[in-house]
Amino acid sequence: MTFALALHGLAKRFADKVAVGGVDLEVPTGSFYGLLGPNGAGKTTTLSMAVGLLRPDAGTATVLGHDVWTDPLAAKRMLGVMPDGARLFDRLTGAELLACHGLLRGMPAAVVDQRARELLDVLALGDADRTLVVDYSAGMKKKIGLACALLHAPKMLVLDEPFEAVDPVSAALIRDILQRYVASGNTVIFSSHVMEVVERICTHVAILAQGRILTAGTIADVRAGRSLEDVFVQVVGGRTATGQELAWL
Amino acid sequence: MAVTPWHFVGLKLRVMRNGLRGQRWRIALFVIGLFFGAWFSVIGFVLFSATGFARTDTSLVLVGGLGGAAVVVGWLLMPLVFFGVDETLDPARFALLPLDRRTLVSGMFAAALAGVPAFATLAATSGLAVAALLRGGPVAGALQAVGVVAGLLLCVSLSRATTSAFSAMLRSRRVRDLAAILLAVLAALLGPLQIGLLAAARTADWNVLAGVARVLGWTPLAAAYTLGLDVVEGRWWAVPLKLLIVAGTIAALLWWWSVTLENAMVGTATTTSGRGTRETPHTSPTTRLYPVLLRGLPRSRSGALVALQVRYWWRDTRRRANLITFAVVGMFVPLMVNIGSRGLIEGSAAIPPSLTTVSASMVFVGVLGGVGLANQFGYDGTAYSANIIAGVPGAAELRARVAGFSFYLGPLILVIPVALALVLHRPGWIPSMWGAAAAAYGCGVAINLFVSVLGAFSLPETTNPFAVNTGAGVTKSLFSFAAMLCTLLLSVPVFAMSTLAEETWVWAGLPAGVLYGGTALWLGTRFAGRLLDRRMPELLSAITPRR
Ligand SMILES: Nc1ncnc2c1ncn2[C@@H]1O[C@H](COP(=O)(O)OP(=O)(O)O)[C@@H](O)[C@H]1O
Ligand SMILES: [Mg+2]
Repeated sequence: MTFALALHGLAKRFADKVAVGGVDLEVPTGSFYGLLGPNGAGKTTTLSMAVGLLRPDAGTATVLGHDVWTDPLAAKRMLGVMPDGARLFDRLTGAELLACHGLLRGMPAAVVDQRARELLDVLALGDADRTLVVDYSAGMKKKIGLACALLHAPKMLVLDEPFEAVDPVSAALIRDILQRYVASGNTVIFSSHVMEVVERICTHVAILAQGRILTAGTIADVRAGRSLEDVFVQVVGGRTATGQELAWL
Repeated sequence: MAVTPWHFVGLKLRVMRNGLRGQRWRIALFVIGLFFGAWFSVIGFVLFSATGFARTDTSLVLVGGLGGAAVVVGWLLMPLVFFGVDETLDPARFALLPLDRRTLVSGMFAAALAGVPAFATLAATSGLAVAALLRGGPVAGALQAVGVVAGLLLCVSLSRATTSAFSAMLRSRRVRDLAAILLAVLAALLGPLQIGLLAAARTADWNVLAGVARVLGWTPLAAAYTLGLDVVEGRWWAVPLKLLIVAGTIAALLWWWSVTLENAMVGTATTTSGRGTRETPHTSPTTRLYPVLLRGLPRSRSGALVALQVRYWWRDTRRRANLITFAVVGMFVPLMVNIGSRGLIEGSAAIPPSLTTVSASMVFVGVLGGVGLANQFGYDGTAYSANIIAGVPGAAELRARVAGFSFYLGPLILVIPVALALVLHRPGWIPSMWGAAAAAYGCGVAINLFVSVLGAFSLPETTNPFAVNTGAGVTKSLFSFAAMLCTLLLSVPVFAMSTLAEETWVWAGLPAGVLYGGTALWLGTRFAGRLLDRRMPELLSAITPRR
């Protein structure tokens, strides 16, 4: 079977620090894949290499059979991406930004207009709103970023921290949209360190720490009857409180 | 433990050191900056101190009054026009700390003093104290040394206060036109001053100049630098008065700075960026993306890229600051150079305007225009990742960027020669001047496309349009300098033609210049586009601010 996203031996070091040390990951088509890891684990670095934003030192990334680094145009046509912390062209209004993304993708203007209006409506961003994206709240920025990634109806969606700093209402909306997107045969991989969301919506998870995949598979396999949080803490190896320290609190 | 200014100085030095750590490239740039600072110090020191050996006091008057004023004006204009401000310590970072205004301002002030430019200025102007010592004995020397230190404090507070106020102005839409006027007035004030100086220098009437210098000595511009002179000439009563002038000015500037600093901290940044013209919300999103004047462009990838660039050169304060600077400098420098060289002033013999000088100033305009694109990707920051993800080809990207930038620069480059030719009463030269400007602009843009792909650097994510990271100021000026040099080399044919074949150039200048510039532009977008195709991820890393 061909995977929606296949990473083989992806590695990256910055100066003297190994950010990602050889990641192998296979994301089945139609899966809702959660990439879990503590801060600084290398999630952003891995996903950036997977979508063609950061040149890996070694390894390959393939999207639905197209190599991201040797056949970028074909791969990028399949891909919708929401990079983490990347500024959007935020001196545009939401509608202008969507129009810009759509036309950059070479879509016909009529299609862009129709989809942009629908997305703005569904995401409650207001089609006629003249607020610049730079003035949006964090949750609105995530929503407009998601809209930009979805606009050209990609087969594969790569989202970096889509639920970070998002209020519960917006988070529920994003979750609904993504679940419907997966239900119609598409694939999502997203990074997060919020267990509840991953546990609730993912079909597969991988746990990344210090640039290595520690465990990966379907959520049932990984959990093996425990809670995801327990698995995470055990695999990553955090310390647990004994009750003695911080007594002054 | 109380927070003292030393904490800020230490913090700044540490941030600078960490910024350099492991980055050989930045260290090299830092060393080059040091080298230029040292060079400036030595030359300045020699010039200032040499007056101590002159036969009369006139040279001390001239150097103290005019030289001192030049130093202060330099501190005022250099950050605005060329170098940007070192925002190693971004005031917004201190917003949440329980620091009162006084602590913050004195700390930021101390940190601003800890830098190469401040040290270089101190070293150069201390030559004045040496001169005063030689002419008037130890007391004169000591008082002038006090003046030198006070002068430095004045320079630094002046540059900090004005850049902070100016960036606050540019941030707000309602007063951004005021900011443009302010800059224009500043430049306009420089003009008459320069003409006056030129005229005085030509007639070599040192008494006139000395008179100007003495008057300047009673203004904040040069009060600090004429203390020693007053002692030498026995005007003891002037010393406390001038110290009072300087101290009062510094206090006022620091107060002004503290007010604007507070604005910068609470981030009034995001509220009022431009919104374009009012329009009904029922136009479609793709129509709204295009500015009204560009509604004729096709709804395609290239059209959208151009529309995006046109919107951004206006809505992004950094880019807008760049445009305004170009408009002012590009308009005034050619006027000054050509009117000054004609000797219109004070009845001295009128030399007829020279086609060579005029063409050269048009080349200057073109070269200056091209530099605006040198760090075009740096302005975008990580937002540029959207274009990489969409798979926009390099050449299309660059063509659209050139078109968007030229939307503003083109009209300016058309208007400036017309204005200059009318002032010089040589309307017949307009076509050839357009040709010279087009040739230089085409070459300049072509060169700067390569610079923008190869030498991009990240800009700090603040709203101060003049802020640059430590070391990046040097990168910025170094790359601009190299690019300008290359453009000048490419423009040599224009100089040659306008000098050697004046008659032909008057009518052939326009077609030849447009053809030459156009060819350079075509080659530039093509080859820089290929380069960009290969370097997109590297470019993105270069413009991503380091956290
Ligand atoms: N451009 C960079 N330069 C140097 N180090 C980096 C860079 N980007 C990331 N790193 C380092 O690589 C590691 C992984 O970072 P990242 O992929 O952003 O983690 P995550 O997204 O999981 O929080 C971190 O330790 C980070 O400090
Ligand atoms: Mg991350």
